[in-house]
Amino acid sequence: MNGIWLVALPLLGAFLLPIIYRHLPKKVGKWTGPFILLINLGIALELWRSIPVDSAQSIAMGGFPAPLGIIFYVDRLALLFVMLVVLGTLILWLGSELGRIREETLLLLLVGGSCGLALSGDLFNIYVFYEIVAVASYGLAASGKTGAGYAASLRFLILSALGSALLLLGIALIYAVTGTLNLAHLATLAPYMLNDIVGLSAFALMLIGLGVKAELFPVNTWVPEVYITAPARISALLGGIVSKLTLLIVLRFLVLIYADTDAPLLLLSLGVLGVLTGELAALRATDLRQVLAFSSIGQLGLVAIAFSIPGPDGVIAGVVLALHHALVKPALFMLTEAWGGHFKRLVGAAHVSLWGTLLFIVLVLSLVGIPPLPGFWAKLLLLKGAFATENVWYHTAIAVVLIATVIETAYFMRIVRLMFQQQSEPPIKPRLHELIPASTFAALLALSIVYVGTITKNMNEIAVKVADKKIYISNTFPVWHRDFKKNALTENVKIPNSPSSKEETQE
Amino acid sequence: MESIMTIEETGWIYILSYCGAIGLILIGTVAMVIYHHLIRIILGLILLEAGVNLFLITVGYRANAVAPILMGDQVPVAMVDPIPQALVLTAIVIGVGVQALALALVIKTYKAYGTLDTKELAEKIAQESGTHLIDGIPVSLPAPALVRQIAEEKTP
Repeated sequence: MNGIWLVALPLLGAFLLPIIYRHLPKKVGKWTGPFILLINLGIALELWRSIPVDSAQSIAMGGFPAPLGIIFYVDRLALLFVMLVVLGTLILWLGSELGRIREETLLLLLVGGSCGLALSGDLFNIYVFYEIVAVASYGLAASGKTGAGYAASLRFLILSALGSALLLLGIALIYAVTGTLNLAHLATLAPYMLNDIVGLSAFALMLIGLGVKAELFPVNTWVPEVYITAPARISALLGGIVSKLTLLIVLRFLVLIYADTDAPLLLLSLGVLGVLTGELAALRATDLRQVLAFSSIGQLGLVAIAFSIPGPDGVIAGVVLALHHALVKPALFMLTEAWGGHFKRLVGAAHVSLWGTLLFIVLVLSLVGIPPLPGFWAKLLLLKGAFATENVWYHTAIAVVLIATVIETAYFMRIVRLMFQQQSEPPIKPRLHELIPASTFAALLALSIVYVGTITKNMNEIAVKVADKKIYISNTFPVWHRDFKKNALTENVKIPNSPSSKEETQE
Repeated sequence: MESIMTIEETGWIYILSYCGAIGLILIGTVAMVIYHHLIRIILGLILLEAGVNLFLITVGYRANAVAPILMGDQVPVAMVDPIPQALVLTAIVIGVGVQALALALVIKTYKAYGTLDTKELAEKIAQESGTHLIDGIPVSLPAPALVRQIAEEKTP
């Protein structure tokens, strides 16, 4: 099975969906999107089964071998994030009524772009898929069709376009220094060519650019506005799931290109500032969705801190934190469909819908990190990883994370208290089908408690392999070698500074 | 090829081009930061993107080189790097799409609020959603005040 279908299928579906809606009965159109997502999930599972932990499917586009051609790198980590996006979108898609053509088209575009972002092994391809994801999310952010929604989406667009221009500038700097865009090729060149101030400034530019979607500290001002004005399912998707993908890209950069530089400390400081500002802002907010938005800034700051820890410890902590947040935050956002807005609307919720309140409490406790809920294990892994570094900055980060956890507990417990208060005017009772998406996410969370041992073992294996850049390089370059011999035309082409050709001569 | 440029002339091309790129990037960023009018912010964005594109093109420039097209058996002496050109082509297309979307959103926002000034917009949106504005920053009621407010509502 070719991993390229993961990207091609949703993109194709996005463009065909309006035609299907127009020319076929409405029922067919309604189920096309979920059907495509299901197939995508199946392909991802099949690839997961067929690709062993230490290898990867490396696909050269258009028959041009790496590093000249564009590479898709399908390994288990990328597949994990692909499955996360597809499954999350599927749950949120089925959770509300079907048949919103425009939104569904954009959703498929978003899934296609996200899968491309996760699988891409080429800097410029990352930029292109980043823009696809960004354009789809501008449209989705404005799909609430309110004036405030348009204004929030516009502000998101301006910030994000500024970010992607900076991302492109960073990519241009890297290309100017090294002359390649292939991540594996860059990984071989980086220790000699990018270990200086130019390489670091390129990383800073790319980090700010990617940080807009990942809600990193200085460029996250769009977050509260968009998440308040967009429909709950869109906030859930953007804040809970899509935001993690750009952090995956940052992780790849750190592992492959900037392993032995000061770049992780830059990500660490942005993560720490994100955690602090996010949690403090959430403490002051009085709108439930605003609280969730600020808390997601804080949680993504945690993931950023985890990814900045060098070695497999950081990878596993970050991936587990990201997965946990991707289950909990969408569920919480879906609960706000009935209870969104000012806290006052929540007072007495426990007397109206006990199930909804229980869900809320369990999810919140997991987010804070109360054992035996998965959030506890995720935070524990982060603390363990940060302690093991023996670097004073990481130890400071631990202190900040612990303080932030206390703040997090404070504002969430305040909300829970409000839910149990008596109120003469009871809040809106959420309809049963509105609770289904949140319940599904909570069920997945419960499953992860049961299988915590297996998950940890699997994640450990993946993390060790991902943190080793030699595996990435050796998985990408065999394709190049094979095609190199096959293709007589390229025999005269010498790729400069290719270490693998040196290795060959040594042998 | 009638005239071959000297090293000095080539150097000036690089200097002017890089200065232009950096200048455009700076002007664009500053314009996006200091202006409060949405159209001007978008114009700043366009300048910024143009600067980045110019930077990419300059990266791929070679002195006395021709366009990277193979014609028959003729192999030119030097060709400019084709990859940045392909990248810039893509970046321009993406940029135009994003700018069009931005203008569409500007129209929608103007229809909803009748202004394109970011400060006025923030005020109007804050009024609509019931939050307070302090120095232009939307601030919600502090928590103690909220608890008091709820307590007051409970006791008639």
